[in-house]
Amino acid sequence: MNKKYFTVPVRAAIVLAVICGLIYPVAVTAVGQGFIQYQANGSVALLNNTTVGSYLIGQSVTSPDLFNIRNDSASGVDPDITVVSALNQATIIHNNTNISMSYLQKLIHNNTRYTLLFFGTAYVNALRLNLELITAFHNRVTLYGEIYANITKS
Amino acid sequence: MIGIRHILVIVGLWATIVFFAWILSKYLETVYGDKESKLDRIFIPVENFIYGLIGLDKNKTMKWKEYFLNVLIFSAFSAVVSFLILYYQGYLPINPMHFPDLSWSLALNTAMSISSNTNLQHYGGGSSLSYLSQMVGIQFLQFTSAATGLAVAVAIFRGFAGKKNQTEGLGNFYVDLVRSLTRVLIPLSFIFAIIFIIIGIPQSLSGYTLVRTLSGSEQILKIGPVASLVSIMQLGTNGGGYFGANSAFPFQNPNPISNYIQMALMMIIPTSMPFLFGRMINRMGEGRTILIASYGLYAIDLIIAFIPVTVLGAGMEAGIGPFSSVFWTVTTTAFTTGSVNASLAAFNPIVIIPAFMGMLIQATPGGIGVGTMYMLMYIVITVFIVGLMAGRTPEYLGAKITAGDVKLAVIGFLSHPIIILIPTVIAYAAGYVHAIGYGTGPTSFTQIFYEFTSAAANNGSDFLGTTGNTVFFNVSTAIVMWAGRFIPIFVMLAIAGRIQERRRSSEISLRTDDIIFPIVLIVSILILVILTFFPFLAIGPILMHLEGIKNAL
Repeated sequence: MNKKYFTVPVRAAIVLAVICGLIYPVAVTAVGQGFIQYQANGSVALLNNTTVGSYLIGQSVTSPDLFNIRNDSASGVDPDITVVSALNQATIIHNNTNISMSYLQKLIHNNTRYTLLFFGTAYVNALRLNLELITAFHNRVTLYGEIYANITKS
Repeated sequence: MIGIRHILVIVGLWATIVFFAWILSKYLETVYGDKESKLDRIFIPVENFIYGLIGLDKNKTMKWKEYFLNVLIFSAFSAVVSFLILYYQGYLPINPMHFPDLSWSLALNTAMSISSNTNLQHYGGGSSLSYLSQMVGIQFLQFTSAATGLAVAVAIFRGFAGKKNQTEGLGNFYVDLVRSLTRVLIPLSFIFAIIFIIIGIPQSLSGYTLVRTLSGSEQILKIGPVASLVSIMQLGTNGGGYFGANSAFPFQNPNPISNYIQMALMMIIPTSMPFLFGRMINRMGEGRTILIASYGLYAIDLIIAFIPVTVLGAGMEAGIGPFSSVFWTVTTTAFTTGSVNASLAAFNPIVIIPAFMGMLIQATPGGIGVGTMYMLMYIVITVFIVGLMAGRTPEYLGAKITAGDVKLAVIGFLSHPIIILIPTVIAYAAGYVHAIGYGTGPTSFTQIFYEFTSAAANNGSDFLGTTGNTVFFNVSTAIVMWAGRFIPIFVMLAIAGRIQERRRSSEISLRTDDIIFPIVLIVSILILVILTFFPFLAIGPILMHLEGIKNAL
């Protein structure tokens, strides 16, 4: 068989590996890190100016004073819970902390999103709810105060 | 669960896709045809530079055998590049998390999986692949395998178009490959990668970050070149995600907007191919036939999948919801992409049946380029059957369909059940299924049967995931993926090469561009596929469903 049968495909594989595998992703990274830094670095969540995770990666909490995520979903780190579940958890949080139901309902309502944008299943981001709660009530609820102090310390 | 508004979502997405696919097909005609484009001024110097680096004579056209050999040899060498990167990743740079080398069988499986446009993943990307591996090992092959699919499709279209506008042969594979990349896949992937970053998908090369959570525990944020991978893996109907959980992982699919853009990306090019076929053979009606038949089958799959009521359960993401999870699962198999946004184990077995149908037919509308190729294979078989029933010489586009063409098409069709069923039987008989903790019940059978079906159909969705990382499953599925990719390509390039030489008559014995023929085609495909696979579906998902009913009583 002609030697050229192999030189062209070998060179094509190497040249295209450089174009598609290095130049392209590095160019996308340059744009991302240059102009869209917050999202490109994982949409981090801040509490009192300290990073406490990402809004896109769920975190489980041990206390019933905060909104907890589900642990059975495909990724295992689903950051979202359904509004139905959030409202059920709000009742428990209300009983434990005395934060008014109307505040909690408004908090959930303000953060509600829909799986089909305007309809479908209603859901909320649990971390967003928790951060708003801690920021607003760290002087009144013991657990929130502890979290706030720990975060600030470290 | 499914209401009028959900149907409107489906119809709305379809209408949008068909509209943009029609526009895209006009552009694709300039990419692969002789028509000049205003963009030539930008692209031609870039392409000439690449041809120079490759050492290519761009004016040489190839006959079908030469075209096929170059497809095969190029795919093999690009798989070798990827294999070496994966196998030696521990020694190579751009590995800030210091991931070790992949085993030989896993590196082999991965390189053959991505290069065949399958993207079956026995590795967990987020926990075992370096950035260099994700970029050169995976993204590079996602581009070239998609571009190869496009190149093969247009070569076949040229064959069916006949000799009128070609000097001879089916075109030049490397010209088709490079132009697919420079004019279609790289620009579109780049634009959508940027859009994906804006809506929340990370893109970074600076290593995973460690954070302390509210409850004081440590959490790793696995950021990397994710957005650049997600755009090509959907656009190229590859389906191999950055993370093991694929588009169920929120960094890969953060919200409903990213969910629907990803679905649109996997649909757009396969939907434009029937239009491109119509344009290239200068008979739009024939393209319409293919489009109606493939979307008709896709609609049947969706109707079946929405029979059971799916509720948000284990294995689904709350922000995606049950409707979008089912819609995606049918779509990703209909377009043989294989990315998932929920765990397949989360679904009622009835939802898994249309997922199987998508992979068994492979033309509903199927993967990038090759979907329309499979539909042409079914058309050759169908016109032959119809010709026999009507007692006339079978013809397609005015060219006689000979016994030799039908033999080739049947080889292509029958290779599919052979490369699915034989390894499934071996896996059971030789104890390899038992070795990974699977039994003989319908659930286990469904999952093993799915593994080889997904490999053969170059789909890539699976139940096994990293459980499949054993020497047997790595090597057997690697062989199945390449056979499933290159046997049908060989057969269809051969048919296209033969038909290109054939004289065309203007007399029409069987109309293939009316409204009746797509229906005949759909029925013929369903009969062929159901006759072949029904016994296996019966002892798999159907039995699984019946057991579920029995247990509920």
